[in-house]
Amino acid sequence: MKKSFLLLCVFLILSSSFVFAKGAQESSDSVTLTAYMQIDPADDQYRGHNEIMKVFAEKYPNIKIEVEYASGEAFHQKFQAMAASKQVPDLFTCYTGARSAYVNETGLVKDLKSLGKINDAYIAQYNDGTFAPQGANGEIWVIPPSFAVCHAVYANEAILTKLGLSYPKTFEEWKAQVPVIRAAGYYPVSMGNKDPWVVNSWLLSLFVDRCGGPEWFMNAARGKSGATFNDPQFVESIDIIKQMVDAQMFSPGVNQMSNGEADQEFYQQKSVYLVDAGWRTSAMDTQLSDEMKNAVSMNVFPEIKGEVTHNTSTSTPSEGFGISASLKDAKLDAAWTFIDFYCGAEGAAIRAKYGDVASYKLDANTVKMTTMQGKFANFQATHKMGYVFDSVMNGEGVTMLNNDLQEMMLGKGNGPKAIAAKYEAWVAANDTNRSL
Amino acid sequence: MINVRQKRRSYYALLLPAFIIYISIIIFPIIVSFGLSFTKWKQYKLVGFIGLSNYINILKDPVFQRAIWNNIQIMLVSVIGQIPLGLILAYLLYRKWVKGSKFFEMMIFLPITISSVVVALLWNRVFSPVGLYTSLIRQLTNNPDYVVTISESPKYAMIPILVVLLWQHTSLYMVIFLANLQRIPDSVFEAAVIDGAKESTIITKIVLPALSGVIFTSSVLAISGSLKSFDLVFAMTGGGPVNYTSVMALYLYQQTFTFANYGYGSAVSIIIVVLSVGLITLANRLYAKAQRKYE
Repeated sequence: MKKSFLLLCVFLILSSSFVFAKGAQESSDSVTLTAYMQIDPADDQYRGHNEIMKVFAEKYPNIKIEVEYASGEAFHQKFQAMAASKQVPDLFTCYTGARSAYVNETGLVKDLKSLGKINDAYIAQYNDGTFAPQGANGEIWVIPPSFAVCHAVYANEAILTKLGLSYPKTFEEWKAQVPVIRAAGYYPVSMGNKDPWVVNSWLLSLFVDRCGGPEWFMNAARGKSGATFNDPQFVESIDIIKQMVDAQMFSPGVNQMSNGEADQEFYQQKSVYLVDAGWRTSAMDTQLSDEMKNAVSMNVFPEIKGEVTHNTSTSTPSEGFGISASLKDAKLDAAWTFIDFYCGAEGAAIRAKYGDVASYKLDANTVKMTTMQGKFANFQATHKMGYVFDSVMNGEGVTMLNNDLQEMMLGKGNGPKAIAAKYEAWVAANDTNRSL
Repeated sequence: MINVRQKRRSYYALLLPAFIIYISIIIFPIIVSFGLSFTKWKQYKLVGFIGLSNYINILKDPVFQRAIWNNIQIMLVSVIGQIPLGLILAYLLYRKWVKGSKFFEMMIFLPITISSVVVALLWNRVFSPVGLYTSLIRQLTNNPDYVVTISESPKYAMIPILVVLLWQHTSLYMVIFLANLQRIPDSVFEAAVIDGAKESTIITKIVLPALSGVIFTSSVLAISGSLKSFDLVFAMTGGGPVNYTSVMALYLYQQTFTFANYGYGSAVSIIIVVLSVGLITLANRLYAKAQRKYE
C-alpha cells in the first residue's frame, strides 16, 4: 500500500512536468525566435555582430531571439543532423551555395523573394551582385551581409620605392621584378598555401576569370556550348601558376605555410607582396603600425597577356541568415525584421565601425572607416568581381584539383594539360553542375 | 530468502540501463553504418543501394592506399618504437640508474599531458618556413631559402609526425611498465643478482615474462590507437601536402563531413573496424603462441 502510494506520487510529479515543460505562453505582442548561428561571439571579429544583437534587442523588445552559437565545422555537423531530422530553427546561418546544400536544396529554407519585400527599390539599396540568384530556380536564400573577396595582391609600396620599383602593370613585368627583389634580400610573394583550398580560391579563380571570362566559366561548369575544362582557357589558368613557381616568385616553403605564417612574413617586411583575400584587411588594421598601413596598397593581379577580362578580382556572397521554410505569420515577420535590420542600413553601419565592408550601400561620408577597411571599400568599388571557382564547383572535385595544383607547385605530379583533363573527367562524371 | 531466479532478475535489471546505452551508442550506429556502406549519397540525399561499389572504389583509391600505409607506419612506430622505448625508460627509472629519476619521470611524462593540437602547433612553430629551427639554420648557413623539405616529400612526409608521436606517447607506456615493474618483488632481483645473473638474463628471464601480459595489452592499445589516429595529424598537416600524410580517420572525416559521401565514409569506417579486429586477433594469437612456448 505504502509502495503504491509512493509510486503514485512519483507518477503525478513526473506527469505534471509535461504540462509545465512547454514554458510560459508567449504574450500576443511578443515573438520568440530560435536561431543557430555559425559565429563565435567571443572572437574579436564578431564585435559588430554582438553590437547588432544588442541594438536590435533594444529597438525591438517584442522580438526575442534565442541563439545557439557554434563555430567552424562543428556548426555544419550539428546542423546537418538537424536538417536530416527536419528540425531546423527559425533562423540559421546559411551559405548561398553548395556549402548549405543540405538545407537550401532540401526545401528547408524559405525563398526570401516569396515575402514580397525584395523589389527593385529594395535591391537598389545594395551593391551589385547581392541579389544574384542563389537557387537553381532563382531563389534568394539569404541576403549576404557582405562579400568575401577571394583575391587581392597587397604590396609594400615603401619597399618597392626603396628598390626603385612600382606595382607592375603586367605579369611579365612582375616576373622581371623577381631577381631585383631577391638580390635586395626580400622574398617576392608570400602566400600561405598549406590548406587544400588556397591556390584555387585565391589564384586559379582569378586566372579562370581573366583567361576565360564568367560566361565561358559557367558554360564549362554546366557543360554547355561545348565548353569544358579541357579548353585552352583553363589549361592556361593552371599554367600561369606554374609560371609563377618556375619564376621563383613565391617565398620558400609556400606549400608548408599557413595563412597566418604568410601574413606574418609580409607584416615583418620580409616579402614585398602578399597574395591573400580581402578580409585580411581587418587583421591588418589591428596588427600593423600606422606607418605600415599607409605603406600597404591593395591591388589585383597584373594584366595577363590575352586576358578577356581586365582589372578584375573574385568574390562570393558571404553567408547570411536563412529563414525556416515552415515559418509563417508573426514569426515570419519577426524573422524578416531581424534580417532586414542586420543587413540593412543600421546593421551595416554598426558592422562598418568594426571594419566590415557591407553589401548595403553605405554613405562613405557618414561612416568613419579604418585605414585598411577604407582601402578595401575602395577596392570593391573599383574592381569588377568574377566567380570564385570553389563556390560554384562541387567541393570534392575542387579538393582533388587543389591537390594536383599543390603537387605541381612542389615540382612533382602532372603538368597543366593533364591536370585539366583529370579535372574535366571528374566533373563530367560527378559534378552536379553538369546536371543543371 | 532471495532465490537464484530473483537474483538473476535483479542482475539483469541493474545491467539493463547500461546495456541499452551500449546498444544505442555503440552497436546500433555500427549496424546502421554497415547498412549505409552499401549506399550512394549525393548532395545530402540518398541515391540508392550500390552493393560493394564503395568498398571496391575505396580499395582502388590511391589516396586511401597511402592512408593505410601511413597508418601502418604509425602502428610500427607505436609497437616497435613507443613500447620498447617505454620499457627501456621504465627499467632505467625503476633500477634508479639515473640520478634525479623523479625529475626525469616527470619530464618524460609531460608530453602526454599536453593536448595533441597544442603539440602539433608547437612543433609546426619550430619547423615551419617561418619557425625557430628554420630561421636559425638560415642565419647559420646564410641561406635565406632554406626550408625543411622532408614534409614535401611523398616518401618521407610522415617522418615528422612519427617523431612527434614517438615523443608524445612513449611516456604513456613508460608509466604503465613502471607501475608493473614495481609489482615484481625486489627479492626476485636480489636473488638473481646473488645467483650471478647478468642484467641481460634478468631482463629476458624475469622482467619480460613478468610483463608479458602488460606488453600484449599495450600492443593492443597501440594497434587500435594507431588505426584511429586523427587529432595530431589533422592539426599538424591536415593530411597534406597533397594527401602525403593522410590517414584513414582523416580520409573518413573528409569523405563523410566535407564531401557528404555518407555511404562511402561508412564503408571506410567498416574497413577500419575490420582491420582493427583482424590485427588485434592476430596479436592475440601470437601472444597465445608465445605464452605456450614459455610455459
